Amino acid sequence: MDPLTSMAASGLRSNLESLDLIANNLANVQTAGFKNDSEFYSLYSASEAEAPVPDDLPRMPVIQRNWTDYSQGDLRQTGMPTDLAISGAGFFTVVGPNGPLYTRNGAFQFTPAGHLVTSEGYPLLGFDGKPIQLDPAQTLNVMPDGTLLQNGALTGRIQPVTFKTMSDLSKQGASLSRFNGPDDSIGPAPGLVLQGRLESSNVEVAGSVVRMVTVQRRFEMLQKSILIGVDMNTAAIQQVAKSGA
Amino acid sequence: MIRALYSAASGMTAEQTNVDNIANNLANASTTAFKARRTQFQDLMYQTIMQPGAQAGTQTVIPAGLQIGLGTRPASNEIIFTQGSFTQTDNPLDLAIQGNGFFQVLQPNGVLAYTRAGTFQLDLNGNVVTAAGDPVQPQITIPPQALSVTIALDGTVSYTQQGTSAAQTAGQIELANFQNPAGLNAMGSNLYSPTDASGQPTVAKPGGPEGLGTLLQGYTEQSNVSVVTEFINLIESQRAYEANSKVVTTADQMYQDVNNLKT
Repeated sequence: MDPLTSMAASGLRSNLESLDLIANNLANVQTAGFKNDSEFYSLYSASEAEAPVPDDLPRMPVIQRNWTDYSQGDLRQTGMPTDLAISGAGFFTVVGPNGPLYTRNGAFQFTPAGHLVTSEGYPLLGFDGKPIQLDPAQTLNVMPDGTLLQNGALTGRIQPVTFKTMSDLSKQGASLSRFNGPDDSIGPAPGLVLQGRLESSNVEVAGSVVRMVTVQRRFEMLQKSILIGVDMNTAAIQQVAKSGA
Repeated sequence: MIRALYSAASGMTAEQTNVDNIANNLANASTTAFKARRTQFQDLMYQTIMQPGAQAGTQTVIPAGLQIGLGTRPASNEIIFTQGSFTQTDNPLDLAIQGNGFFQVLQPNGVLAYTRAGTFQLDLNGNVVTAAGDPVQPQITIPPQALSVTIALDGTVSYTQQGTSAAQTAGQIELANFQNPAGLNAMGSNLYSPTDASGQPTVAKPGGPEGLGTLLQGYTEQSNVSVVTEFINLIESQRAYEANSKVVTTADQMYQDVNNLKT
């Protein structure tokens, strides 16, 4: 393939992946605690393809990585005492089947044993690293600093956590993320824990649709450039063949 | 490409479930003691396109990978047990629970079910039964010669008879509560049954130290559906559905462009 076609084809592929990200964002516009994903474009040049003239490197546009926008979503009043939202930075820590998982979806429920669990049944951890243990028969009051009060007595504390390297956080589905970085980069977060509220998804529908239109137009331009390249090649072959004859 | 189509389709399916749930809430806006349900969504799994740490060349390493999510799914629609408001009916056998708790009724199959709809009646034997004819447990019988029936805040049922001044006690209404009422199984007809998620019921007198609510005679509890909130949810859901359908159209057009590359 000539450089024009391969570059444009790589661009087409990147834009398809952009659309995939936008589609997932828009599908999760109602998922509590969901954070919008965006992409970083970059130029890929294989070192194996080192050309003698540096400017003549075939470079391909690729999506190098995606990044997640961890900005605050709207806090929606629900009135459910076991709905918790973090205002500010931080994540809830829950016990997954293979180690701790992190989420900002605070739609917890009581189990008969007195734990607060996610809809998968993963228990919420307190600041001491043990699952929160409560008396389900008593009214639960959650203070903004994460302190849990039942009947006026202190029964535990939720400590939102944050990470020095947020890019090591990878989404696992079910509103849960896994942290792949070193343990010492996990630390307490300043976010406040608000009771009776849930954080809405921070996907912005208008912005996403604009991005989608941009992706589509970019895609069409790249498609056109491939067609122009084909025309040029055809012309070159035919003209050259004619002049040679 | 197909990923975008399926992600958008999963968003549309999830919004359909949401609208189904909203429709049921609105349809039950005047059902006695109906409790609204709320749909919760979750993101589905993620597909790793580029592994973080992979070699991008002889000297460069990809610092973070590319993960593309595959859409959404409705995770649960839990029952929201907030208190509904009260309607005065002046029917002596209409009871509303102010606070936590459920009435226990015996179904025809001999299994206990739990309800907050306290619109009771008498059957031909004078037993206090629900509109479906299921007797309240523990059973309470009012004799036909009773003049007036009084149900106290703590559930004591008494009646007066012609010619006597003292009230006769007919029985005691007990309420049941669950550790996690949101985990109850809704059986329809205002009835709930316990599950492993809800825990087993604790039965006690109304208004006691166990934290159960008190009874209000001559009132019924309205549904806790907020029509305004449901309409807002409906609008949101419809717009989200539209946005997802736009993704389907865009993906389709881009796919068409790909097909047009070969003329």
